[in-house]
Amino acid sequence: MDFNNPYIHSVVLIVAISVAFLTIMLLCAFTVLLERRVLAFIQGRLGPNRVGYFGVLQPFADFIKTMMKEDLNPDQSTKFVFMLAPMIAIVTAIMAIAVYPFGPLINLPYLGTFPLRIAQFDVALLYVLGVTSVGVYGIALAGWSSNNKYSLMGGLRSAAQMISYELALGLSLIGIILICGTLDIYAIVQQQSGWYGLQWNILYQPLAFILYLIAAIAETNRVPFDLPEAETELVAGFHTEYSSIKFLLFFNAEYINMITVSMLATSLFLGGWNGPGVAQFPLLGVLYFFAKVVFFLFFYVWLRGTLPRFRFDQLMDFGWKFLLPVAILNIVLTATVLFFVG
Amino acid sequence: MTTILFILFAGLAIGCAIAMVSQSNPLYSAISLIGVFVALASLYVTLAAPFIAAVQVIVYAGAIMVLVIFVIMLLNVEHEEPRRKRLRFLVPAAIGMAAVLIGETAFILYSVQATESGVPRTVSNVGLTQSIGVGLFTQYLLPFEITSVLLLMAIVGAMSLARRNTILSSTARVVPGAQVLAMDIDPARAGKETVETETTAEAAHLLGVEFHSNQENGE
Repeated sequence: MDFNNPYIHSVVLIVAISVAFLTIMLLCAFTVLLERRVLAFIQGRLGPNRVGYFGVLQPFADFIKTMMKEDLNPDQSTKFVFMLAPMIAIVTAIMAIAVYPFGPLINLPYLGTFPLRIAQFDVALLYVLGVTSVGVYGIALAGWSSNNKYSLMGGLRSAAQMISYELALGLSLIGIILICGTLDIYAIVQQQSGWYGLQWNILYQPLAFILYLIAAIAETNRVPFDLPEAETELVAGFHTEYSSIKFLLFFNAEYINMITVSMLATSLFLGGWNGPGVAQFPLLGVLYFFAKVVFFLFFYVWLRGTLPRFRFDQLMDFGWKFLLPVAILNIVLTATVLFFVG
Repeated sequence: MTTILFILFAGLAIGCAIAMVSQSNPLYSAISLIGVFVALASLYVTLAAPFIAAVQVIVYAGAIMVLVIFVIMLLNVEHEEPRRKRLRFLVPAAIGMAAVLIGETAFILYSVQATESGVPRTVSNVGLTQSIGVGLFTQYLLPFEITSVLLLMAIVGAMSLARRNTILSSTARVVPGAQVLAMDIDPARAGKETVETETTAEAAHLLGVEFHSNQENGE
């Protein structure tokens, strides 16, 4: 098949986008189930196991239940911004999926060879950072427009937290960029295919990996950094006033952000689809990729079951006085080593 | 295709810019400004400058505007009643400048011949990360460093302005002459140093407190 033909190309693109979208949505649904089950086991409970085998249909039951709720608009809220906020949150969360390579070049009979990604361009990494940084508005505006003290507190906390940790997140990636010499995620993944698919960047940048992991958890507002929705002090934080589908959009955006961040960690540090045997069986690469992503998702749930929440001043001190200097130190170290080694 | 995208994003940018100026609520203006930034970034992409587009979104839409919105949300500006129109002479001046701008655009559109270059305009290496990086750290190193020093100075300046207690020592007591301050001066913090002022406004200024004169209401 001729992929250079613009019509065939756009059809292939639309199919690719649909497949990626469905994959992410399903992954999102089962992450929720994974979280509930694993958290239950950590706490010595069973968790939801009645809807379908081992509860596999539970996310869909939850979805239908939430959709059937009444869509409330608080009195005196800023209606337009109130409606806009969840849209910003979900759109920016999904947009970042476009640049991740899910697998190597796949050769299918009758169809030809094509890469398993939607878009590949020069500034893919910056694109992810940019889209994520716009996502702050969803939460901040939701908190403001609800006309509710708890929501406003949640929104403000989240804006402050995400700005602070975005810096550490971006700086922790610079070491990788220095080593790879490119911002193209596909090229970065391809560079890690040496040593039978085990030449991962984490071996060169262990410090950056740890920094990235911590900053990413804060960036997605998860335990132990879930101050924007600290339920013991703020009811539910920025989404206190949201119900029905608007709440679902926020909920999905949070889980999609988790998946995005996990995919970025997989692509940049754990070699993406690289692993033993991928050169012989390219489809194995897809399996490796999702296995690594699911490992990170499990890690998130594991943390949630283990760690208590930070206090807000501790959070800010940790971000500005520890993560940021260490990230800058990592850049200096990497640049020095690269200067002498080449 | 590029033309359709250009019209789409240019329209978005102009629409958001008009909304930004005409909104009375500062938060709506800020949101419209974010729309302008995003539309401009999209235009940069169609002009084969993806790096500039990404930086535009990260720096302006992602960082600076978040701070602006943060401030607006914290201050929680009430709905102001329409103020008296000041500086009326600016209206004809604006119209005149707009006419000049439109004339200039028309001149460019009709008089300047588009020269055909060998390279298609959307395919070039100038806007890519590598060429920008090489340019910044070799040919344009001095302007780049001067700009960063300028930004550093701005940060230091803002911080020294924000630290009001450097004007007076923390133990200083401000006593307004015959006037009485609405805000009580904390007696626990009173020290030996005493500063006397003539008016409440002056005392308020020394304390770093906002002061509104009620002259219109006849005090």
